[in-house]
Amino acid sequence: MAAVTLTNVVKRFGTFEVVHGANIDITDGEFVVFVGPSGCGKSTLLRMVAGLEDISGGEIAIGGKVVNDVEPADRGIAMVFQSYALYPHMTVEQNLSFGLRMNGNPKADTERRVKRAAEILCIDELMQRRPKQLSGGQRQRVAIGRAIVREPQVFLFDEPLSNLDAELRVQMRVEISRLHKELGVTMIYVTHDQTEAMTLADRIVVLKAGNVEQIGAPLDLYDDPANRFVAGFIGSPKMNFIAAKVVDLSNSAATVELVNHGGARLRKPLCGPLPAPGAEVVLGVRPEHFFEAGEGDCDIPVKADVAEHLGSVSYVYADAGPEELIIEREARRQRAGSDHFTVSIRAERSLLFDKTGARIR
Amino acid sequence: MRYRNATAYRFLTPYLLIFAIFWIWPIISSFLISFQATRTVPWRFAPTFNWGRLIGDPAFFNALKNTLLILVIQVPVMISLAVVMAVLLNSPLLKARGLYRFAFFAPVVVGEVAYSAVFRLMFSLDFGIVNKLLNSVGLEKIDWFSNVTPAMALIMIAVTWRWAGYNAIIILAGLQSIPDDVYEAATLDRVSKLKQFFYITLPLLKPVIVFCAVLSIIGTMQLFTEPFLITERGGPGGGTETLGLLLYRQGFRSLNFGYASAIAYTMAGLAIAITLVQLWLTREPK
Ligand SMILES: Nc1ncnc2c1ncn2[C@@H]1O[C@H](COP(=O)(O)OP(=O)(O)OP(=O)(O)O)[C@@H](O)[C@H]1O
Ligand SMILES: [Mg+2]
Repeated sequence: MAAVTLTNVVKRFGTFEVVHGANIDITDGEFVVFVGPSGCGKSTLLRMVAGLEDISGGEIAIGGKVVNDVEPADRGIAMVFQSYALYPHMTVEQNLSFGLRMNGNPKADTERRVKRAAEILCIDELMQRRPKQLSGGQRQRVAIGRAIVREPQVFLFDEPLSNLDAELRVQMRVEISRLHKELGVTMIYVTHDQTEAMTLADRIVVLKAGNVEQIGAPLDLYDDPANRFVAGFIGSPKMNFIAAKVVDLSNSAATVELVNHGGARLRKPLCGPLPAPGAEVVLGVRPEHFFEAGEGDCDIPVKADVAEHLGSVSYVYADAGPEELIIEREARRQRAGSDHFTVSIRAERSLLFDKTGARIR
Repeated sequence: MRYRNATAYRFLTPYLLIFAIFWIWPIISSFLISFQATRTVPWRFAPTFNWGRLIGDPAFFNALKNTLLILVIQVPVMISLAVVMAVLLNSPLLKARGLYRFAFFAPVVVGEVAYSAVFRLMFSLDFGIVNKLLNSVGLEKIDWFSNVTPAMALIMIAVTWRWAGYNAIIILAGLQSIPDDVYEAATLDRVSKLKQFFYITLPLLKPVIVFCAVLSIIGTMQLFTEPFLITERGGPGGGTETLGLLLYRQGFRSLNFGYASAIAYTMAGLAIAITLVQLWLTREPK
């Protein structure tokens, strides 16, 4: 039983508040990813769970027990640091067993745990090496091994893959996913990389400047973001934001005019409170949600500027009036004709945000 | 390419010339002098004259014994003290860190004569603050300058005072190069602060400590200032005479350059030997 609950958690460094009352419920065995731009307080939040930073306000409970005043070592957590934080003067084996040895754990049990961790992570052959003699990926494995050996109830990862190259990152991502299945324990994982968040998480917590913006399953955040920030942060390439204006309201639908696209209009059915007539709004369209001309509810002409061909798809960076749009297109080997083409937007494949960035549903 | 090298050497020539005349030549020359009888005019080649005397000279063995005694006691005490000072200096709880750092380093820049004079005053039999303090806590006065044991202790105290802070600053730099997250990982591993010190800090500081120890050994092997100025030329009765003092006495008071050179080479040889043994003892296991 190791659910983790954060209730109104506040963190201040001196008078400078960096986390403004976070409420997060993590159920037992869940893989939760904290994601957000640099400096938004992800690490701080994680370190408060670990006990490496004290909690300025609110409560953190692990396994139903409030741990605000519990020593880090007694919280049943293990942490994997971004910089690995291996003991440089010890061999891999000593690194793994150090904590247990220092606490008088029975030798046979220590050996068993170290052996098991080494097997899980395929580092048997590295046991007698020192951290200096390991590659980045191997160091990361050892760091994870050191966490496994503790047999914690909750694993904490602080950007564990950010020092690895792209290929290794993908590989380790899969391994961490596998590890989660194998161990079945709660994991909290911090990253600023939304791809990592999308691929690993059961649920994602999106943070911005010390506030929790939204919590939800990856696809829920993708399909149904609570605001413009989440919409822009989740999904790659980023969602396009097109300036628009409410021109007509009727039958719980708003008709908006795309300001920079020659009066193109889109009728968007809404279920919540309607915006004010004439209000400036923003229409969000993901690059993969543009359709061929005529296939959507509203056409806009664009001019291709740069194209990135990834093989299966191409991303076209297109000028559309003063706005730049990123448009995903099927990759065509021969691109005939001019740079000018027309794309189409569908109401059900677009999102509406008000001027403050809040979602209009 | 060769032309460019030649140009470089031409620029280096003035320095190399001075280096050769004032460094290399004296080193070679004193080596040669150590094989000559220098009390006669003209000097004559007599390989066993100085070196033979050295082996049987009670003054030499007295100075050697004193030097090694100071080395064996003072260097470990000072390095330990320096480590403790460095750890305290590195504590996040410490206020006015810059002031302490300056205070620790200050003894090195104080003039030797001034510092020796102050030590003589502080430890003087009747007026010294040290004896006053001893008296005030009910201990007997110590005559620091007339008895060998207190005099030796005084030398060690003085040398330690002068160099502990210097070493602490070097060790502090080593401490600061140990990343915080290693300690955080240890905290999560339930390793107490004390164990962290012995199992993480000390092993990681080893190279720096060895460096400081080597510097201190070399310095103490040449120890001269303190026994010369504080205990007045190795007093009482040669009780604090070091190899450095003996060399000075032979070379510049008796003008026996051959013997002084032999002593100098013995000192250098011993310093190298002790350092090598130390490096070997503290080598990285592999
Ligand atoms: N010890 C500290 N003292 C003062 N401010 C701090 C301290 N540690 C972090 N901060 C501030 O708290 C905020 C959040 O920092 P945090 O390290 O949690 O960011 P992060 O989301 O992990 O960013 P990154 O992705 O760059 O690691 C930042 O504005 C940072 O400047
Ligand atoms: Mg961080």
